[in-house]
Amino acid sequence: MGEHVEYWGKDIYFWNFIVLMFFTLFEVGAVFFDTVPGTSIAITKMTVWTILIVVGIIKGFGIAAFFMHLKDDPRIYTRTALFPVLFVLLMLWGIGLSNPAGVTDLPSWCTPNWDYAEIR
Amino acid sequence: MSGQGAHVENGIWMRAVMMGGIFLTIGVLLFATLGVFMADGKHHAWEDLEDDYHHMEVELDAQATISDHDAEELEHLHHEVEQAHLSYLSYRVSGITILLMSIAYATFIGIGGFLNASKPKANHDDDHDEHEHHGSASPIIFAFGIMIFLAGFPDFVVACKAMLSADLTPDFAMLSLSLVGLFTIVIAVSNWWFEDLPFDGHGEQIATSYPFEGEHIRKAGLWVFIMSEIMVFATFFSSYLRMRTEWCTDWAIRDGVEACKDVPEGTVVTASDLLRYDFATILPGAINTFALIISSYTIVLALKTAKNAKWEAPSGLMGKLMPTRKAAVRNYLIATLLLGSLFIVLKLVEWSHLVAEGFDIGTVQGSIFYVATGAHGLHVFIGLLVMLYLIFKADTVGYDENNAQGIEYFGLYWHFVDLAWVVIFPAFYLY
Repeated sequence: MGEHVEYWGKDIYFWNFIVLMFFTLFEVGAVFFDTVPGTSIAITKMTVWTILIVVGIIKGFGIAAFFMHLKDDPRIYTRTALFPVLFVLLMLWGIGLSNPAGVTDLPSWCTPNWDYAEIR
Repeated sequence: MSGQGAHVENGIWMRAVMMGGIFLTIGVLLFATLGVFMADGKHHAWEDLEDDYHHMEVELDAQATISDHDAEELEHLHHEVEQAHLSYLSYRVSGITILLMSIAYATFIGIGGFLNASKPKANHDDDHDEHEHHGSASPIIFAFGIMIFLAGFPDFVVACKAMLSADLTPDFAMLSLSLVGLFTIVIAVSNWWFEDLPFDGHGEQIATSYPFEGEHIRKAGLWVFIMSEIMVFATFFSSYLRMRTEWCTDWAIRDGVEACKDVPEGTVVTASDLLRYDFATILPGAINTFALIISSYTIVLALKTAKNAKWEAPSGLMGKLMPTRKAAVRNYLIATLLLGSLFIVLKLVEWSHLVAEGFDIGTVQGSIFYVATGAHGLHVFIGLLVMLYLIFKADTVGYDENNAQGIEYFGLYWHFVDLAWVVIFPAFYLY
């Protein structure tokens, strides 16, 4: 189990907790400020998206891998947790296809036979 | 499992009833302080400001021309009235929420304790093997109770609303059905507790077939449950994303999104539009995020302490708070309960502010926000009810390195609730 490994006198759970707290502060700050504090560099919508997604992945990994012990538990638990992700991906694909922007903005491999109605 | 392990006197369950009484007392005291005394003070302040605003409005209306200074002052006063209203709502809603939660806690743990204390004393003089494996009927009874409750739930809500306004026309048969369901749930849960309380680590059932061969059945079951929960939250999230990517929010308009070029600002208002730009409005959501992360850590500490046979009391203040391993486990669980309760209180305060600002469930944006965050809040609340039992067991039988599985498995659920919030918070509050 992860608690046996210590870094600077504290176990992995403590450091995971610190990382989660830091990144939460980071994502709130990224949204709250219009520019990078102390500079005139604008924080754009795309930057915020990137930060939220990257921070979300890091935080999700921290909770699942360390707090939920998936890192040390048998792989069957990780597979169980990841199984519904297949359906989530399918739903995201569906979102892309059913979104108005999907008609013009998505790559052709993602929209099979999309032009069929027009050709006919 | 059921009934194996340490012998537990039925009388111990009366402590659960006592716990219920303590929760009720704390709830009533906090309600009286926050929801009545302080809220009344805030209400008077709000009314005074509102009177000032109306007087000034009438005075300015009587004038032929209004100076910029007066218009600014009127605007400032209007802002103060709104802030005073929100401040009143904060105290009132937190007081009522604490009272309702304490009633729910007291009812749940109190009835469960009373039912178990009233059970006939078990006969331990027969040939029964204390460590023999037993299946438990409680989960299936629990599921059956939920099914009956949900069958009558839509009319249950209508009937409850009607009763509050002394209307006797709704379908009370469905109300009764829901109440039967609730009673079945309480019976199943209290029986579940009765079976689990003596559990000292012996008789944990092990899966014998693929794919969980050699693993604890309870743990495997919990992961399958979490798998289904991931799909539930994925449906909320994907439906939100589907709609959100199409909405012409102010952010999309200012960012120059082509499809939104002819749409005026303010056409689509999301919860995040009302929350993310001001420190005071983003604060409850941010505190809630920190509260859930800290609570995830406190439950890890409870498990770690329970599993550590060589645990030693820390020095200083922490040593006084946690003089023994048993007390440490219990207190970490109590900290988790308090943080989870804080989450619910702040969530409802935040909802009340949003509704006061006109963001209610009647719009598509409001509907998906309240349903998704409400479903998450419900998961937190159910987790808190389970936590009550864990605290009770930690305080009576106690957890150690042999029987800490209860904390570990509940911890998985609690971490999942935290994980779901990691997705919901940025999507609904920050994006």
